[in-house]
Amino acid sequence: MTSPARLLCASRLWLVALLAVLVSTWTPPALADETCNSPYMGNLIKAQEDYVYVWTLGVKGLGDGWDKLVTIDATPDSPRYGKVIHKVSVGGRGEAHHMGFTDDRRFLWAGGLDDSKIFVFDVGADPAKPKLVKRITDMPKKTGYVGPHTFYALPGRMLVQGLSNSKDKGGVTGMALYSNKGDLITTYAMPTTDGGDGYGYDIAINPQKNVLLTSSFTGRNNYMMELGKLVANPEAMKHFGNTMVVWDLKAMKPQKVLAVPGAPLEIRWSLKDGDNWAITASALTSKLWLVKPDASGQWQAKEVATIGDPAKIPLPVDISIRNDGTGLWVNTFMDGKTRYFDLTNPEQPRQTYEKVTGKQVNMISQSWDGSRVYISSSLLANWDKAGADNEQFVRAFKWDGKELTPVFEVDFTKEKLGRAHHMKFGSKAMKAAYRDAPLASAR
Amino acid sequence: MLRPLLGVGMLVAALLALAGPGWGHGDELRDQPPPAKADFEPPAPGTYTLHPIMRAPSGSVVDLKGRSRRLAEFTTGKITLLSFVYTRCSDAWGCPLAYRVFDAVGAAVERSSTLRSRVRLVTLSFDPRHDTPEVMRQYAGEQASRGVDWQFLTTRSERSLLPLLAGFGQDVRTGGNGRSDETSPLTHMLKVFLIDPRGVVREIYSTAYLYPEVVLADIETLRLASASRQDARSGRAAEARVRRPSP
Repeated sequence: MTSPARLLCASRLWLVALLAVLVSTWTPPALADETCNSPYMGNLIKAQEDYVYVWTLGVKGLGDGWDKLVTIDATPDSPRYGKVIHKVSVGGRGEAHHMGFTDDRRFLWAGGLDDSKIFVFDVGADPAKPKLVKRITDMPKKTGYVGPHTFYALPGRMLVQGLSNSKDKGGVTGMALYSNKGDLITTYAMPTTDGGDGYGYDIAINPQKNVLLTSSFTGRNNYMMELGKLVANPEAMKHFGNTMVVWDLKAMKPQKVLAVPGAPLEIRWSLKDGDNWAITASALTSKLWLVKPDASGQWQAKEVATIGDPAKIPLPVDISIRNDGTGLWVNTFMDGKTRYFDLTNPEQPRQTYEKVTGKQVNMISQSWDGSRVYISSSLLANWDKAGADNEQFVRAFKWDGKELTPVFEVDFTKEKLGRAHHMKFGSKAMKAAYRDAPLASAR
Repeated sequence: MLRPLLGVGMLVAALLALAGPGWGHGDELRDQPPPAKADFEPPAPGTYTLHPIMRAPSGSVVDLKGRSRRLAEFTTGKITLLSFVYTRCSDAWGCPLAYRVFDAVGAAVERSSTLRSRVRLVTLSFDPRHDTPEVMRQYAGEQASRGVDWQFLTTRSERSLLPLLAGFGQDVRTGGNGRSDETSPLTHMLKVFLIDPRGVVREIYSTAYLYPEVVLADIETLRLASASRQDARSGRAAEARVRRPSP
């Protein structure tokens, strides 16, 4: 294994050097889209999605000011196409961030990075009108972890990656495993030995190989800090993750720590039959990394491409892989660009397209067939841009392989909704057979 | 410590080797190929923990003779592998896969002197309007009378079924016509539940992770944990006897 200690040290120096450049903003990440769902999740939407669910940060003084789940009609022949058709406020503002479906896609779990609350929405009874059915408010007390970030379905369970801990609010954290009913089953600490930095961010599983991959970001002290203060604090800037971890999924034990400097964020496995690799983007270093076994079967992480000009800090914040693993969308927050990389050879990704899609862009979600692409704007309340650059939206595009063509936009400020963050798709087909059934798995 | 665990792993491998497609059952599923093997070596039984997930729900079911029974009779007392199915299911990655995996696991269990009396398989229909005891008997074929304890169950009505679906967290959806009558297709996410002898669900498998060798390793892990607890209890009892003063 490459010496993680050496790399960590080097990356810290590198981060300090970055301070001079980081005069504006840097952003945390996001994950999204139909191809990034857990392999344990049934009912992938492979045709036209009917709804786009948007987990939205509340903004004080804008509407009710609360975090909310917003539903946008995405059916092209609907009279309300591209319009907000439903919203559910959760009665508080806790830094709404990411969400994930349960394995059966009946429920959507969503988390707040500030208040560490988890909200469970029923999207199975009436997919057009999600209903808040459960709140989990004791994650810090029961697990010691805060900042529920990634929600990744296992059969009958939800694996939740924390970003931080309740003791020192730093980056050392772990995963919490819940039953679909919302009961805590157990926790798994991120490794702090054998090169592990203990940080967490994303989760991605390849069941065929019994492998779970995790990535690493930063703790609550940093992600809740005002950005200007953060970048001016050399000590704080040292506390970003520089590792990925390969886990034995069945045993839930770390097998190997991979050195991936610069906060590796979203992880995407290629879904093509026979492929055995995953890709990630490191936010601070603006690189794509390939994770795959070497000739001897040992998992390795290798830098394979550069995203934009790292010296200009484009800040890749979300990626979205095609269902056949041949292409990758990359959103970079600072320059507001959406880039497409040809992944035909994952060892040598090649950028083939780019377009400015907003003054700030964060998440990107593509339909299963890749012909529709949705982009949202917000990262974190304290890290979004200010003034006229603080656009808040969901923008939908068509993609013909050559050009992104706008098809609709929802202005989240004009609609008094808040900051548009994570997106997931819904379908009218996701209804239970037994209508009177107590859909109690999450109540 | 390592040696006995390796021995158990070899036992699981040997059991699987004995479980061939020729272990017959009485319906059209007999001729289908055996389930695929995992593309990895499962961790050795006993080297990992299967955490309690939830208690299996209680409720009323109907056996092949049409008798009402408590579900708890089939989820406690033995290590139980339970799956919801509906006999009209034609999705190769759904109910037929569950049947074939149960077939392979059952064959291995039947040939194991340590597992034969400790393991039970349960196939439970979520389509009571169609899957009567007679239909379930046909679906079971020869399995209902073989050496391994494989139970085929249904329910009297949706009213009896609903608490079981909710308790296990099993989804059922209409296939597109919006109805849920006797002829409408149903879709569901295949889930197989591994339940310990106390009636607690310890593992849940869906299609992406449903391999006979993984299931058998988990069964062996539960058996080892149970044996370990019994050894501990026996040890404490023996220690108490030793310390007890002689009359």
